[in-house]
Amino acid sequence: MDFDTSVRQAVYQHFASTGQAPSLTQVAVELGCSEDDVREAFGRLQAKRVLLLEPDGETIRMAPPFSGVPTPHTVVVGGQTYFANCAWDALGIAAALHQEAVVHSSCGQSAAPLHLQVGRDGPEPSRWLFHCQVPAARWWADLVFT
Amino acid sequence: MLFFRSEELVDEWCLARGIVRRPLVTMEQLWQLAVTWYATRLSPEARRPGPDEMRRIFARIGLDDPFWDPQSDTF
Repeated sequence: MDFDTSVRQAVYQHFASTGQAPSLTQVAVELGCSEDDVREAFGRLQAKRVLLLEPDGETIRMAPPFSGVPTPHTVVVGGQTYFANCAWDALGIAAALHQEAVVHSSCGQSAAPLHLQVGRDGPEPSRWLFHCQVPAARWWADLVFT
Repeated sequence: MLFFRSEELVDEWCLARGIVRRPLVTMEQLWQLAVTWYATRLSPEARRPGPDEMRRIFARIGLDDPFWDPQSDTF
């Protein structure tokens, strides 16, 4: 496994086990390398659209489907709470972890709460809908807005 | 990318913002997208789908509007 893949794996495993983004230092300690090496790898992973970093170039805002900051879309799996970047990523966390989950979100217009049970094979029957305002060709132009 | 309880509420949300409504996605379709994008995300072999693969994925689950084309400029 090359270094960038090792960094990516460390980031995703940290998210999966804690629900939070790892710090640069935590990844460096995990891999036994320098923080500069990890910072450079973060930059390359962002260029490949694997990570989205804050302007400081070292704080992870997104490692889709996981969010490094609190959001209105939470997913509870086995007592662990995760923040999703959007409605799609909320189901994405359940799919990525391959475990039963409960998605907590709300209606974008009415604010009615959504509590959706998601099994390993998909969500319970639901008439709720998903709407994406930004066309696919522009998703990464401003991923936080998307 | 938001959840809505009904089609009417999507219309209200778009009207309030003066924007056009985009193609709606059912929860079943969204699960298929979630699995396709993320089921292998934690593995070392994980990768994002390329443009052609994205088109095939969207088409397979009935999302064939230009809105879903990753390289379209006709949405």
